[in-house]
Amino acid sequence: MTKTRIVLIAFILFAAVVAQPRAATVPQSDAFRFAVIGDTGTGSSSQEQVAMELAKAWSRFRFGSVLMVGDNLYGKEAPKDFTKKFEQPYRQLLGQGVKFYAALGNHDDAALQKAYKPFNMGGERFYSFKPQPGVRFFALDSNYVDRKQLEWLEKELIASQSDWKILFFHHPLYSSGEKHGSNVELRKMLEPMILIHGVDVVFTGHEHFYERIKPQGGVHYFIVGSSAKLRKGNIANTELTAKGYDQDHTFLVAQIAGDEMTFQTISRKGKIVDSGTIRRAEKRITRK
Amino acid sequence: MCLFLILSLLFPVAADEPPALKQFNERVKAYAELHKKIDSKIDPVDATSSPELLVKQKQQFITALQKARANARQGHIFNRGVRPIFLKILKRELKGPTNTEPRAMVLGEGNPKAKDSPKAPPLKVNGTYPTESPVSTMPPSVLLALPQLPEALEYRFIGRHLILRDTKADIIVDFIMNAAP
Repeated sequence: MTKTRIVLIAFILFAAVVAQPRAATVPQSDAFRFAVIGDTGTGSSSQEQVAMELAKAWSRFRFGSVLMVGDNLYGKEAPKDFTKKFEQPYRQLLGQGVKFYAALGNHDDAALQKAYKPFNMGGERFYSFKPQPGVRFFALDSNYVDRKQLEWLEKELIASQSDWKILFFHHPLYSSGEKHGSNVELRKMLEPMILIHGVDVVFTGHEHFYERIKPQGGVHYFIVGSSAKLRKGNIANTELTAKGYDQDHTFLVAQIAGDEMTFQTISRKGKIVDSGTIRRAEKRITRK
Repeated sequence: MCLFLILSLLFPVAADEPPALKQFNERVKAYAELHKKIDSKIDPVDATSSPELLVKQKQQFITALQKARANARQGHIFNRGVRPIFLKILKRELKGPTNTEPRAMVLGEGNPKAKDSPKAPPLKVNGTYPTESPVSTMPPSVLLALPQLPEALEYRFIGRHLILRDTKADIIVDFIMNAAP
């Protein structure tokens, strides 16, 4: 075979390989990914370890937003505390442009935190944002649910045309925690609106463990309160729990694509302690 | 029927205010105007990434407010006439076997005098509420029953004492001792 023919065959083979269509990947261009952390602001080694695992999760999932469900800084809130209890642990994500959205916990200085730009609260105790079409988040201040906040929430929920309506705040409406338990007072005020106006998912903290609650009226409740603090063995045996984990610190990552939200709850050591898919469904109004 | 209408029916804003309540509302409004006036004189800080600026501005505000209210005493806003109104409302909302949940919310975890709470702020008009002290969670039913406040103020509890707290300065503006039954 002449050199010319070898080169020609090689060229033809090369062209054939290059022209071959790439294996199709699952189209995820419309998927929205986010993470949830709670009760983080300790500046402790536990927070740092969870933050490192969160950064590893980011490299896999590339979420653009992180929800903080309160108790974002414990103790003093001097400038150095913002560094130690937030900027330093999450420096990798902040450096990558990931946006954090905070809700206020009972340990948080509202005046400082709502004006702190990296918490993206826009100067408000309660606010909503729409990171992409079809998904709207509502951050509440569950420490102080007054008439103003209730009127705002109802107005916003009615106005929202988003397919997915997700609330996040500090105090859980449903909880199997022995330390705190369900906040029935808040539930009385918030649950009617949650059911009537089509909220799909609620993330809270306050309890220092992870718990996924069985759907209540079709609404999915999560407690993600162990991203730096932990109360081992604090989940009581109740009918509420779909999945509970109180043996190590955790965070949650989720992806919304169309009518499905898939999630993973990951421990400080990178173990997946819960996972699943939530399908957005028509809501039935339940009366209690 | 939307929830707002339901709330308005369940927790109506009184059409005819007793004189003591009217006076309370006037004093609260005057406080809000003072708060606004001081705020306008402080170097403005929009949402910022700098905790140093935020903390500095907050401290400037605290100093100016404490100076402006140097003569403030307990009872300037919660005066003798309005205290019984508040005590009556709180008794209705927090006492008795049907009110164990809101009572637990007020006196339980988050209340700076609750067990395991790190530090209780001193009960002093014009005194600061330290950041490291947690804030009590207020039952929505209690907030809906109490007279509404402007944004500059909020109700909280320290132990059983009801306080008015400045929302920006975290200063104790006034208080009623042993208000929670």
